[in-house]
Amino acid sequence: MTDTVLIVDDEESVRRTFEEWLRGAGLHVRVFVAPDAETALTVANQHPIDLAILDWNLGSGSDGLRLLEDLVLFHPDVVAILVTGFAHQATPLDALRMGVRDYLDKSIDLTREAFVTAVRRQLDRIRPAKRQREVNQSLAAFRESVEKILPIVQTSAALNDPVPLPTAVKSLLRFAGRAVGAADGALIIRHAAADGPEVMIAYGAEGELLPVGDVPFSRSLAASVVSRQEPALLNEFGAGTAGVLDLFPFEQGRRSVLAASLPVGGGTVVVLELFDKPAPGFSDADRRLTVAAAEVGGDLLRQAVAERQTHRLLFDAVEAALRASTGVQEAISPSTPHGPEDPPPASVMARLREGLDSDVNAVVDAGTTLALVEAVRGLAVRHGPAAVGHCTRMVNDLRHLLDGISDGS
Amino acid sequence: MSEAPPSQTGEPTVFDEIFTLLTPDRLLRDERATGAGVSVAVIDSGVERGVLEEKFRAAGVTIGPIEGAVFRPDRPTPQPYTGHQSSPHGTTVADIILTIAPRVTLYSADVFGPAGACEVETVIAALRHAIDVWRVKVVNLSLGVPEHKLQQLPRRQQLQRAIEEAYFRDVLVFAAAHNEHPLTRSYPAAFAPPLISVDKGVFDDPLQFAYRLREHVEFQAHGKGYLGPFAREPATSWATPHLAGITARILSLKPDLKPFEIKTILYWMFQAEANRHPAA
Repeated sequence: MTDTVLIVDDEESVRRTFEEWLRGAGLHVRVFVAPDAETALTVANQHPIDLAILDWNLGSGSDGLRLLEDLVLFHPDVVAILVTGFAHQATPLDALRMGVRDYLDKSIDLTREAFVTAVRRQLDRIRPAKRQREVNQSLAAFRESVEKILPIVQTSAALNDPVPLPTAVKSLLRFAGRAVGAADGALIIRHAAADGPEVMIAYGAEGELLPVGDVPFSRSLAASVVSRQEPALLNEFGAGTAGVLDLFPFEQGRRSVLAASLPVGGGTVVVLELFDKPAPGFSDADRRLTVAAAEVGGDLLRQAVAERQTHRLLFDAVEAALRASTGVQEAISPSTPHGPEDPPPASVMARLREGLDSDVNAVVDAGTTLALVEAVRGLAVRHGPAAVGHCTRMVNDLRHLLDGISDGS
Repeated sequence: MSEAPPSQTGEPTVFDEIFTLLTPDRLLRDERATGAGVSVAVIDSGVERGVLEEKFRAAGVTIGPIEGAVFRPDRPTPQPYTGHQSSPHGTTVADIILTIAPRVTLYSADVFGPAGACEVETVIAALRHAIDVWRVKVVNLSLGVPEHKLQQLPRRQQLQRAIEEAYFRDVLVFAAAHNEHPLTRSYPAAFAPPLISVDKGVFDDPLQFAYRLREHVEFQAHGKGYLGPFAREPATSWATPHLAGITARILSLKPDLKPFEIKTILYWMFQAEANRHPAA
């Protein structure tokens, strides 16, 4: 995740210079600039801020330290570099407590190098902590997912062989169709989520999916049946449908229809449609039978839908757990391309170790040698050749010191 | 000093004025009895405006613009009406009212919820909107609230209160008398209840109706509609807008009639017809 730096300074030239320095340093950070505390807080309200570079004197009686107090309310982990022309006037303890981690003094030469070094130093400190926070968040998500899964897994009923929906539909249509003598039937299921899209599917007598074309539910025969709140019977079906409603492909050409809505509940509407009973067609007795079938069917479908929802929940939870665990894995072992600061791959280190071990003249073991080499390499990558030179001087000084002690003994 | 009431002085009373006009045929066949000047709210599943406009235009009948709003349980304020139905039911109901009283000003309150039934709170919101914002005189409630949604006493009382409010605002509420209809179950008496419950019957003339006092039903009206395949099947949903339409016709002759006066007139009209044709 890219780090975000906020620069707040009331001088436009300073803001511009700092921003150019940051962008030119190849730090891969997202930079926001603000001329005053109000703008800075607006930015902080809309974006995460990792590092704030704050002018001590922001004009209008405002100062960087006070602004930092407010920024902490938005981002408790924000750290800051205070830029001041009179560092001695700052209150170091208070500032440190509030998250100021460095000072840059305008009164002496503030160079690009000093500025970038200070920023880089803070980013280096921020990144591990930030990664740790991300790991913690991923772990929390993982735990939450697992906590959701556990009760379901523990409920043996959820793992029992469920009634597949098409099978439930087939059984219902067979039962209802035989009871009233219908030649065919269909079941229309429409689910409307609170703010989501509407889903409409239809099953045929064998539990197969039927095409519904582009007929909206609001213009369907099923919607008409639902709003009547009682089974509907038509033995001269086909005439008079134009205008107010449209027929699904499987309804077209039917001679008679007996339809009833099933009490399923929630945001789901289910309508049972039975077609084409031979002459004289459907009767009031069939209508009463359909009411009973609708009750039974409602129970059957509720069970099937509940099973599906349980399984869906299970799948969602597992999916969330997998995503969370992937997040953990990525946070702990980034799969991003190898960075210059990262140690060489384990295979390379193993080959080096083999080579060193094979040197019969070696005075220290391969592990110690490699540890020293890796330390010097890391120093060079992060702080440049000057730091390595300094390190060499320190090693030489240490040797002289130890030589002196040895000679003295 | 108090004056003697008109009935004792021999001066005509308001009832004399009404009764001279009051032959059912004269009332309902009056050329002014078109529903003009009467606002009617159809609290139902929405109205497909284009279908009705086209149907009546083809029949050479002029109808007014249909307006409305969409009420949903998850939305605190009504949503704009786009001229479409949520289910064909409301369009069939509106068609019946316009067939009986083509000049009414019709408002569509779409309360058809995602599960196919309407919520009590949504119906109440629509009813109040119809009264306060649209200022309707007649409300048609063919879409019933399922009984199980009124199991809680506070909800039932809320609905009762809303219906009573309508009554005290001189608004007539016509409700379809489903067998287990909660409204009619709650208001069983003959004239006192603040709404008019309607059962289905089959009549030769859609302007005919009957007074049939049963446990919680007062009137019967023609139970067949004119639009859509299910309109041919007798239903209380279609009977209710017939009586609402008939009432709109009466109100276009005398718009300031109060709900109890309308009930009295409807009752009297039925009795007058029954007396004229005892065999029927």
